[in-house]
Amino acid sequence: MIKAQGLIKKFPPNDFVVIKGIDMTIKDGDFISLMGRSGSGKSTLLYLLSTLDRSFEGKVHIDNRDVHQMDVKEVHALRNQQIGFVFQFHYLINELTVLENVLLPARKAGRMEEALPFARELLSIVGLDSIAHKPSSSLSGGENQRVAIARALIMKPKYIFADEPTGNLDSINGNVIFNLFKKFNKDFGTTIVYVTHDQEFGKLAHTQIKLADGLITTN
Amino acid sequence: MMFLSLRYLLARKKQSLLIIVGIMIGTAAYVGISGMMLGFQTVLLDQLVNNDAHIRISAREDLLTSETMGSFPTASHVFWDIPPSGMKDSAKIEYPIGWYQKLNNDPQVLAYSPQVNLNVIFRRGTLSRSGRLIGSDPRLQERVTNIQKYMVIGKFSDMGQTGSRIIIGKALMESLGARPSETLFLTSGSGAPKPFKIVAIFSTGVRNIDESTAFTSLSDAQNLRGSGSEITDIAVKVEDPYNVSEITSSWKLSSREKILSWQEISASILSVFKTQDIVRNSMTISIIVVAGFGIYNILSILVTQKRRDIAILRSMGYLPKDIVSVFFNQGIILGLIGGLVGLFVGHLICRFVGTIEIAPGRMGSDSGHMTISYDVIIYVKAFAIAMLSSVFSSIWPSLEAKKLEPMDIIRSGGQ
Ligand SMILES: Nc1ncnc2c1ncn2[C@@H]1O[C@H](COP(=O)(O)OP(=O)(O)O)[C@@H](O)[C@H]1O
Ligand SMILES: [Mg+2]
Repeated sequence: MIKAQGLIKKFPPNDFVVIKGIDMTIKDGDFISLMGRSGSGKSTLLYLLSTLDRSFEGKVHIDNRDVHQMDVKEVHALRNQQIGFVFQFHYLINELTVLENVLLPARKAGRMEEALPFARELLSIVGLDSIAHKPSSSLSGGENQRVAIARALIMKPKYIFADEPTGNLDSINGNVIFNLFKKFNKDFGTTIVYVTHDQEFGKLAHTQIKLADGLITTN
Repeated sequence: MMFLSLRYLLARKKQSLLIIVGIMIGTAAYVGISGMMLGFQTVLLDQLVNNDAHIRISAREDLLTSETMGSFPTASHVFWDIPPSGMKDSAKIEYPIGWYQKLNNDPQVLAYSPQVNLNVIFRRGTLSRSGRLIGSDPRLQERVTNIQKYMVIGKFSDMGQTGSRIIIGKALMESLGARPSETLFLTSGSGAPKPFKIVAIFSTGVRNIDESTAFTSLSDAQNLRGSGSEITDIAVKVEDPYNVSEITSSWKLSSREKILSWQEISASILSVFKTQDIVRNSMTISIIVVAGFGIYNILSILVTQKRRDIAILRSMGYLPKDIVSVFFNQGIILGLIGGLVGLFVGHLICRFVGTIEIAPGRMGSDSGHMTISYDVIIYVKAFAIAMLSSVFSSIWPSLEAKKLEPMDIIRSGGQ
């Protein structure tokens, strides 16, 4: 469970306030869409809830641990074990193969061998097992994003945060990605929070959060 | 993080290879040049140390002044119309027995040889050359220097205890057009010329010595000089020639003779060694610095290019120090490979140069090949320089990578 209280985010140098005091709770196993106009603070809020951005006012607790109280090691361990990220720009490491990219979090955790069968399984779920040993630089945009999702799931994290994961994709690929999220949410109970400005995808979530001008308008 | 470092390196094979070659050239150059220079220096140093005495005690040749003329017992005041000047006509060691006792009792002294050293003119027919005649007891002299090692014809002991026989430097003999067992006439100062027979020939490879020096027995030299049993020098061999300055400084305090260590005698050559060392080191360091700059540049560019990768790795739980390793390792791998290959190539260069034929005696070789030093220290130093430069040039870009915040990179779309 992730709990935010009185969350405020200002940006230097003028202390431009982007998140203006948000209280919210993300329940385990929830499937949440985060929507709002461009510039309303969706990405900013996602980063705040997921430990990527730790300079804010107010409180964020992840599984009852105060994000502000964690040291560098704890934060990184949490990101490694409990949180998976999917960004709009897929960010694969070009020098590695598809499979190696998927295994990166497991490599950090020192659990490469245990993770290998699951990595292959994930790749077949996203339909890419046949190109596991291809260099990731040779993939299409849609394939890239599917690899990124497999990578986000390799540690069986409790939470997945996705910032406009379908934003750069055509609707067919977008649907594939979205169905993957649904599947993991159902099969593994993974909590999923995704930002989207696609109304269709937004409406498919269990919980829809709308953001306007740094505040939550509907829940 | 070695896995990632290697992958990044392998993705830029040409670039990596270029840096490795740079470091390799620097390291190999150091090993090659050091091997040659130090080999040469070792041989020359051996000659400097052992051709002559480690320590030379010689008669002081002070300029005469009113004070050094000593006292005049019958006169309380002496006035000079023309004050005394110049030198005494024959310098000698005043009390050699005292020195012999002192040297016999000094545990650091291995051997010593009393000598008469005099400037002479070598004459053969109408040809004449000036040079130096060293009179000594051959048995003692052989224990003090390694002259026997440089004999080309005959043995050092051939000169015997008397009999007007000389052992002459090869270059000196050639310049007089003389041949072994010919007789030369030697003149010292104002004395009459005396015949000496050439019985042996030496060549040390040190031009200065070979073209001006001859050896004879102590008594024959004393005869030529016409000064009875006086001696002018004592050549001393000590246990540790690299520690002579300690011994000489204590002797200097308690004697009126002039005392010179081989280091003082060869000061000018030793300073050439220093210059050689400086040239060798600065050349190598500049090559390595250039290679180091290569590493620095590559890594700096890579850190900028890989901002996205850094961000994604951090979001997956890779620690800042892991990021440092990813980049730092790359520099170290380049340095390590370049350094090791450089050592190997440098060694091959040394091996090759060692096979080149040169005239025996030149560059101090006995064998007709250049003497190369394979001292481990050279290899250790070469490797250390390569690694140090890699560490230094890798550390800054790597620490820059550590400072990058994933948030900033992700917000800017990874650009
Ligand atoms: N690093 C930053 N410095 C200053 N302002 C920023 C920074 N990042 C985002 N903002 C501002 O915060 C607001 C919300 O941005 P963002 O969360 O990216 O919006 P959304 O994802 O909803 O489009 C925007 O007005 C944007 O200009
Ligand atoms: Mg956004």
